[in-house]
Amino acid sequence: MTDLHLGHHLHAVEDTPPSVEGVPGSDRHAILALSRVSKHFDVAGRRVQALSDVSLDIKEGEFLSIVGASGCGKSTLLRLILGLDRDYQGEILLDGQPVKKPGLDRGIVFQEHRLLPWLSVEANVAVALRRSKLSPRQKRDTVRAHLELVGLEKFAEAYPAQLSGGMQQRVAIARALVNRPRFLLLDEPLGALDALTRLRLQDELKRIIQHEGITALLVTHDVDEAVYLGDRIVIMQPHPGRIAGILPVILPRAVDGSRSRSDAAFLRLRDHVLGQLGVGQEDAVVHAAE
Amino acid sequence: MARAPYFSSPSLQTLALQNPAALAADQHAALLLGGFHPVPTGDGLIAPQAKQGQDEDRVARVHDTGPGGAGTLDRINVAISNWVGDHGGRLLLGLSFPLLLFIVWQASSLYGWLPDQILPAPSLVWQTLQERIADGSLWDDASISLLRVLRGFTLGVGAGLLLGGLMAASRKLHDYLNPLFLAISQVPTLGWVPLLILLVGIDEGLKNILVALSVFIPVTLGTYQGIRDVPHGYREVGQVLTFGRAQMLRTIILPAAVPAIFTGLREGLSNGWQTLVAVELLASTEGLGYQMSYGRQLFQLELVIAAMLVIGLIGFVFDFLLGRIENHLQRWKVAA
Amino acid sequence: MSTQAKTRLARPRLTRIWRAAALPLVLLAAWEASTRLGLVDPHQLPPLEDVVARGWSESRNGDFLTALAASLGRDLAGFAIGAAIGTASGLLLGFYRPAQSILGPTLRVHRQIALFAWVPLIAVWFGAGEPGKIAFIALAAFQPSLINTWRGVQEIPDRFHELAAVLTFSRLDFLRFVGIPAILPAIFTGLKAALIYAWQATIGAELFMTIAPGIGGVMMQGRQLFQMDLVLLTILLLGLVGAGFNTLAGLSETLLLRRRTS
Repeated sequence: MTDLHLGHHLHAVEDTPPSVEGVPGSDRHAILALSRVSKHFDVAGRRVQALSDVSLDIKEGEFLSIVGASGCGKSTLLRLILGLDRDYQGEILLDGQPVKKPGLDRGIVFQEHRLLPWLSVEANVAVALRRSKLSPRQKRDTVRAHLELVGLEKFAEAYPAQLSGGMQQRVAIARALVNRPRFLLLDEPLGALDALTRLRLQDELKRIIQHEGITALLVTHDVDEAVYLGDRIVIMQPHPGRIAGILPVILPRAVDGSRSRSDAAFLRLRDHVLGQLGVGQEDAVVHAAE
Repeated sequence: MARAPYFSSPSLQTLALQNPAALAADQHAALLLGGFHPVPTGDGLIAPQAKQGQDEDRVARVHDTGPGGAGTLDRINVAISNWVGDHGGRLLLGLSFPLLLFIVWQASSLYGWLPDQILPAPSLVWQTLQERIADGSLWDDASISLLRVLRGFTLGVGAGLLLGGLMAASRKLHDYLNPLFLAISQVPTLGWVPLLILLVGIDEGLKNILVALSVFIPVTLGTYQGIRDVPHGYREVGQVLTFGRAQMLRTIILPAAVPAIFTGLREGLSNGWQTLVAVELLASTEGLGYQMSYGRQLFQLELVIAAMLVIGLIGFVFDFLLGRIENHLQRWKVAA
Repeated sequence: MSTQAKTRLARPRLTRIWRAAALPLVLLAAWEASTRLGLVDPHQLPPLEDVVARGWSESRNGDFLTALAASLGRDLAGFAIGAAIGTASGLLLGFYRPAQSILGPTLRVHRQIALFAWVPLIAVWFGAGEPGKIAFIALAAFQPSLINTWRGVQEIPDRFHELAAVLTFSRLDFLRFVGIPAILPAIFTGLKAALIYAWQATIGAELFMTIAPGIGGVMMQGRQLFQMDLVLLTILLLGLVGAGFNTLAGLSETLLLRRRTS
């Protein structure tokens, strides 16, 4: 795990990223620990190393952005953490216990919303509460509350086919949150949406996650998104999939937790990440020199 | 379902499904690349094609803007369509052909173009129908045939759902059973008749088995396909939400499989009805099929035609009912 | 997809072949055993060897072949006529609105009448010999090709119409560049279905109408003479022909539509 020094505008820090509201006390410890995780696929007789020796500690309450080009294994990593796939080498420990199968403590928002088309919006969110021990009335209330959280309480009776892409994804977010999971995994959740909706939903996501005080893992190929939302950025590279670097994101935040996308520090960090990913090297150097 | 057009990729299609607004942009781009200038209209780029009522009435509209303006054929086309639309004449047009046939039929019997044994007069058919309704024999025959179909249908559906479900649930079972199933389904249903007659004779057992068989095959296929084709993404949602097996079935797999299963059911009923009519023609002493066979032997075609009308009616009712149930079960499929 | 699922699918061919053969082998063994042990009436279930022997001798003396040829001849004749008329009608109804309004409802009603209900009528009008059989088979092939072609035309996406309009296509241009290629898959589906229906109708016609050379005739003969081995063999033959048709249809579909990606 490497922390990179970015130049005099950014500080190299050890563990604790600056204040994140909602977390009792400020000392966060790793609750999800990946240790030397490797996985390969056999595709048409050839071995593809999807992940190679990936080690990562995820701290309670932090927002971790994982960014990288296609094929770097970031989605695979999420699936392993989720417990959808048990075929790998290495260890994934949650609170010291190995992850064996999916659990309601880890929610996920997929890139395709994957709402069940034959259920209404309300039913789609409620279906996540099947195993919950709440009373029917409590279930109804919390479903409503979460629909309000994503701003869709008026569409409770609608069917997914009637909603726009952004709305569908918001329902998916509500569904992922309704069980109050400790972790929220997001696998390129905004990738299929148009640019404007994406920007809007980024703010929504940030607001919601801060409100709920959840630990979030966001996988994305959009560097702006990663820098905008994350407390730390994990940079991954493909062939084989591995972590190239981990950066803390120390950027000023407004009261509601949002950042400015045009701030000089933001742009510098973004360009640096892009550089790490092998894009626009010259630009990054020029900016850093300013 | 529309086939993939040539100039759009699968990813664009996914995008189109998730975000219909984006499709217009794609269209726009494709058209521009074609190297022409779009015709500006009030709102958009291209005058959108007016949606015609329900699916059944949609007809491909060909806009002829070739050199020299609209051709005569199109003018007639447009004129007729407009007239029909304006005067609610669609119903009239629809009846025009049967009316024509009826007139020819009536004339034929009036002027004796064809002997009565080949084509009985419409009035005779009508009279026969009335007689048979009055003395209840039509109802007897129809109910016998209907009961047979329902019995065979129930058997076939039960067996089909069972086998289809089992094969979908267990790859092992599928590997063992599918070859035999495939082999049996290759043989035309009527091909089993001689064999079955030798084994079980020509009474109810024959009809039950044959109808059940013709229902069983499409239902099995539909059930198997329906369950297997449940998108993997939905199954994963169930896994992530830690659904148990029963939960998975009830909330995810069955609802997703319903369309395909229902298609199988509809085909099954249609097959079953066809088979019953055929078997009754061949080897029966009562029922609608027997009526036809009897009428043919006596050259009293009015009996045959009367029976055919009833058979057609029953077929229509079956189709209609199942269609309604299917629509009800798939209310969530709102036109995007 | 998880790796476990992947390895399951990649299960060796051999295992699947073993499994596929398992049930048939067990059944054949049971057949052999039951006749050897005298558990069944030889009239109802002749010994396996007898059936095989009969099959061998029949194929050697060419009777089966003639019968098969006769049936197939009828089948293809009827199929060709019915599918041609059906496809043409589907195109007409799809592209020409007045035709759809006038003929559409009638054809929809016609579809409701079970196919075999036409047998007596056709037998009287065309006679129960060859013309009658072929007419019946044509009728069977007509319905699916009509419906599928019609639907194919209806489902040409609006996008294509708009594109043609903007590119100022004439009607002929449209048909040639856009319309016909777009509906080829639907026409093909119709032909496949028509083939199956036609074969069903062929057997039906041979069983219902006058005895003539053909597989149906052989079956009737077997039944009337209580020769179970003959009946069983004809069933096998029917299955093989059916499988042959399906394979052919599948292959040609792959070939013809290979250039299209979906």
